[in-house]
Amino acid sequence: MKKNNINLMKNPSSEQTNPIHFSAQGIVKKFGGIDALNDVSFELRRGEVMGLVGDNGAGKSTLMKAISGAQLCDSGAFFIDGKEVKIDSPHDASSKGIQIVYQDLALCENLDVTANLFLGNEIRYLDNLKIIPRALRPLNHLSMEEQTKEALRKLKVKTITSMRTKIGFLSGGQRQSIAIARAIKSDSTIVLLDEPTAALGVSQTKEVLELVKSLRETNHAVVLISHNLNNIFEVCDRITIMRQGENIGVFDTINTAPDQIVSYITRGK
Amino acid sequence: MLKNMQEKIGYLRETQLGSFIPVLLALIAIWVYFGIVEPVFLSPRNFYFLFMQSAVVGTLAVGVTLVLLMGDIDLSIATVAGVCAAIVAVLSTNMGVSAPIACLVGLGAGALLGGIMGTVIAYFRVPSFVVTLAGLLGFQGLMMKILGIHGAINVRDPFIRGLTTTTLPDSIGLILAAIGIIIFGLTIWKSRRARNAKNLDNELLYLSIIKFVFFSTLVLTATLILNAYRGVPVTIIILLSITGFLGWLTTSTSYGRAIFAVGGNLESARRVGISIEYMRISAFALVGFMAAVGGIIGASRYASVSFNAFAGGPLLLEAIGAAVIGGTSLFGGRGSVWNAILGALVIGSLGNGLDLAGAQAADKLMFSGAILLIAVTLDALTRGGTSRK
Ligand SMILES: Nc1ncnc2c1ncn2[C@@H]1O[C@H](COP(=O)(O)OP(=O)(O)OP(=O)(O)O)[C@@H](O)[C@H]1O
Ligand SMILES: [Mg+2]
Repeated sequence: MKKNNINLMKNPSSEQTNPIHFSAQGIVKKFGGIDALNDVSFELRRGEVMGLVGDNGAGKSTLMKAISGAQLCDSGAFFIDGKEVKIDSPHDASSKGIQIVYQDLALCENLDVTANLFLGNEIRYLDNLKIIPRALRPLNHLSMEEQTKEALRKLKVKTITSMRTKIGFLSGGQRQSIAIARAIKSDSTIVLLDEPTAALGVSQTKEVLELVKSLRETNHAVVLISHNLNNIFEVCDRITIMRQGENIGVFDTINTAPDQIVSYITRGK
Repeated sequence: MLKNMQEKIGYLRETQLGSFIPVLLALIAIWVYFGIVEPVFLSPRNFYFLFMQSAVVGTLAVGVTLVLLMGDIDLSIATVAGVCAAIVAVLSTNMGVSAPIACLVGLGAGALLGGIMGTVIAYFRVPSFVVTLAGLLGFQGLMMKILGIHGAINVRDPFIRGLTTTTLPDSIGLILAAIGIIIFGLTIWKSRRARNAKNLDNELLYLSIIKFVFFSTLVLTATLILNAYRGVPVTIIILLSITGFLGWLTTSTSYGRAIFAVGGNLESARRVGISIEYMRISAFALVGFMAAVGGIIGASRYASVSFNAFAGGPLLLEAIGAAVIGGTSLFGGRGSVWNAILGALVIGSLGNGLDLAGAQAADKLMFSGAILLIAVTLDALTRGGTSRK
């Protein structure tokens, strides 16, 4: 608890930016004897990319899973725009505008770009004819394809030309773009990215980082987890550092040097 | 350069026309070969019987494609077909129930048996392989019980017999063919126009034209050949209509998307909120329904229902073989119900041609085995091709 007060003091610039959109308070998660999350508090603003760094096992993914409803925490509370919200399932989270992109992406390689973007949420004809079961109403292929094209254009993804390409034929970076596009297509305001560049080469990493930057322009609150501090410093506005299941500090990127962050990650000071 | 070529070929295989080509080439090769060796093979009369012989296998193959797409398998289709045929036979021949009602009961029974197996697979997480194998055995017993001590029941009812003995007058056959061709052409043309208007990429014009010409020639030739003998059989119209519906269901509805998603990436399907349980139960019920359709067609063709014609013979393996030869993947996520019909024709032609050539049952089995092996190997190879990216 004391730590949070310190964090806020370290943030003199907070007055000029957007108000806090999302916050998690006092999150605790134990796995058997391990304190994966030990009274962690965490906050996000819209139009801001928050880096989340920390050594292996620091609890970053666990925190993201708690926020996205994929894994219930033992105690703690979530607030959106100051109001407390319950997040008990992935469905809860997505209905509150929280979307997570997992490291394994979970795309269907046998389906094309459009089908993946709209999977489980297709645009259909006859949607006001309630006598026909929803699953049997004809798909509006063209509308979906048009919107997919538009979504990728907004994200400045230029390398995917045909929306009818099967995901199996795309590169890792392109798949990452599709997964992110799917996350923000619905009315999401918060996008959680767990190591989106971990498996990517130089140029594809750059592609994805550009995409992350464009999420700031669309006024999303973005969390970017990465072990690559260069990437973190390139796109993040603020950086939250986790160590052994605790949030040990939040820093403005412009006022901080990478060495400082490394020191906090490894030695906690 | 080479990689580019490979990608193009891979991409082509994923298109509708592209996935047709290998099985179509196989079919043409078989026809040319037997046409030379046994000229009577290419006679209108033989073609008529070829189509009719392939109808039962084709119906089951189209059905089983649904669960193959989800990465499951149904080993009980032939037996379910047998049980349903037996129910229809007992109801109509022994109990005097009117034939259409007997058929409806049979169809319902098929869907029910499939649905029950689907429920076990969905809720108890038993692999479909095992559940449907149990079904295969259990339903064999059930079929014996229904057929009673004689082991066979004759079917003389004119309605049921008529399903496979009736043919359309030449003119009606041609009109239906023309309607089919016009609808196909209009669909292509409208889709091209709409895509252009919305500034979406279109397939190359010449590909659309090839597709259209190809489809029209196929439909017209088939109709003319059948007309040269006895006309287009009603059975074929029934089979094509059901396949058309299932083709639409799998490619143009959310239900179909979900089928492909479950087969492609189960975890992904779950995360987007698709109910895996619902998908499994309904798909297996549909397969059961198709098995019943196959059973009724079989009963009609053989004018009797016997244990050997369904449960004891090679029907099961021929049906699954037909689906796989048609290009539907055993690994799930890739394939089409239309290809299953082509696959059934390949198996049917092979059997028919070898029969004409006076081949032994042993040779026939070995040939079928070889073709199936080639198809499955192709399947495994192309699967490696796409997932390696
Ligand atoms: N399902 C689980 N069961 C048991 N322990 C778990 C589970 N998930 C995470 N943990 C433990 O919780 C701690 C935090 O793990 P977490 O995955 O959140 O770390 P991380 O910061 O994401 O690390 P990395 O950078 O390696 O991804 C680790 O000690 C880990 O072993
Ligand atoms: Mg992690």
